[in-house]
Amino acid sequence: MYGTFLMGEAFALGLASGPACVASCGPVLVPSLLGEQAGLRLHGRYLTVFLGARLLGYLLFAAVAWELGTLLSLPPTVRTVVYGSVHLLLAAALLWHAIRLGHRHAAAAPELVTIGARRHWRLPHSAAVFGFLTGISLCPPFVVAGVRAASLGSLAAAVSFFAFFFVGTSIWFVPFAGISFIRRDEAVATVARMAMVIIACYYALIGIMFLAGRQVYGYQR
Amino acid sequence: MATNASIARAVAPRRGVGRSLLLTLPIALWSMLMFSQGFMRASRATKMASLLTIVFMVALFFQMMRTSETYRWRRWFFVALGFLFPVGFIYNLVAARGTMGIPIEEMIAGRTPFCFIPIPMIILPAAFTRSIIFPSSILGNNGNTAGIAVMVGLWFALSLVMGKGWCSYACFFGGIEEGFAAIPKRATVKKINPRWRYGPWAVLLAIVLLSFAFFEPTYCMWLCPFKAVTEYVAARNLVGVIQNIIFIALFLGLVVILPLLTKRRTQCAFFCPFGAFQSLFNKISIFDVKINRELCNDCLVCRNVCPTMAVNAESLAKGETHMACMRCGACVDQCPKDAAVWHIKGTPIAVKPERARLMYIYGAWALAIMFGGSILAQSTATILHFFM
Repeated sequence: MYGTFLMGEAFALGLASGPACVASCGPVLVPSLLGEQAGLRLHGRYLTVFLGARLLGYLLFAAVAWELGTLLSLPPTVRTVVYGSVHLLLAAALLWHAIRLGHRHAAAAPELVTIGARRHWRLPHSAAVFGFLTGISLCPPFVVAGVRAASLGSLAAAVSFFAFFFVGTSIWFVPFAGISFIRRDEAVATVARMAMVIIACYYALIGIMFLAGRQVYGYQR
Repeated sequence: MATNASIARAVAPRRGVGRSLLLTLPIALWSMLMFSQGFMRASRATKMASLLTIVFMVALFFQMMRTSETYRWRRWFFVALGFLFPVGFIYNLVAARGTMGIPIEEMIAGRTPFCFIPIPMIILPAAFTRSIIFPSSILGNNGNTAGIAVMVGLWFALSLVMGKGWCSYACFFGGIEEGFAAIPKRATVKKINPRWRYGPWAVLLAIVLLSFAFFEPTYCMWLCPFKAVTEYVAARNLVGVIQNIIFIALFLGLVVILPLLTKRRTQCAFFCPFGAFQSLFNKISIFDVKINRELCNDCLVCRNVCPTMAVNAESLAKGETHMACMRCGACVDQCPKDAAVWHIKGTPIAVKPERARLMYIYGAWALAIMFGGSILAQSTATILHFFM
């Protein structure tokens, strides 16, 4: 009975924090989805891999959080390093993906020109990388869930808590599939790639500032 | 590439003085109504500034009527607005807080003047959390009239009528680069990759997503070139210094150097996220600019003079301009075949385009007087205060 309540709590927490998760993942997910070809199936596959990798990140983090006892016991410097490193990695992944998309569009690779060709299922590596990295980034709802999971009695309970938390947040990601209906042309692909570069620069700046121990927001005295 | 000099038509008046005066009369009355408050003030400088603004705006409109040209007369107003706005704005800032920098105390108190550019950034956070991620107040306080409600209300009303014409008749930043673009006789850099036209959309997408993710007006914090001439981040630490370096570099690059080299409004064409957002209002506005394919001889003059690259071979073939069209009138004025015309949606293209132009110009100029004119008057009064 207690387990059911606990999982219900995790699901409700995920559902309530969904907008924050969507906001947190949006800068990575939206341009990368726009960079893909249109088509519900393609986007569904991309989202599934993204969410799957995100779940993997969550579970890994749940195990670590439980192992360490509580997230709060992590010194702020360690949290800052994790936050800064994840953002630097995300920046590198976004830049890599923007460049790769540029080559792919320029060369009109088989993935784009599929008329008469048999489609092979290929793992969208970018979705896996982005999903995992956003899964371990310390966004606020994630930290809340981490603190709660760390207080549970067993590793299995902590992992289950995060799994249900993940299901709650994932519902908010379903509307992203709607991006598949946006008509793709050179304009959309270029905008997506340019946006990835801008976001990558911003993430890189944040990452460097955090690792350097500087305040990101310049209004402090 | 055709130059302005080579394509300029003779500025032969198309209307008589009497008829032009008659057409100018409503605008003259509107100007006097708008600035009547200025005459009731005790200050001689304010009275003089109001009078000068009325004469300036009415004279420009008269010339628009007399010559049937829009672009170059509008440009006088727009460049004046761009260069005078920072004067009045900075003076007020320094008078109120003693510095152009935004200290944290002012932000906490919600006394940061709100400009229109953050509007697309505040929509998502406001929709999901009912909070506005800009350190300003809704109604304005402490002498700061640029509250969020006033600015959003004005912007929305003007946008419904003018579409992206906001960027040609109301934006108090675009005039600076238009002024620099007007200086050289011909462009040094003539070939620009058309893909850069998508830049504003990319910046818009990035800042909307980042603002929602980090709950801060990302563009204002990191990317606004006009912070260099309005109010900058108080550089109290390394990050503040980096922010100001970015602002100044973007200002010099996009607002000064590139317009001088390309004779185009490069910040508006390749970077401004608000311009991209504003393009959506071109779909709502009943006015647009069309190319009459029966008259067009594909000389590409319109493509070459467009400040924002809103005309290209593809759009010409369709007989229209791209969404980025700012309704500045450059293509209409310069077209040697009169193929580029002002147009009211839903009407045949060849039917009385001058009537469509008049309808647009009346609305746009009336709003320009109300919004930009008041800024001109205030800034002029600020300058005159030093001499009177």
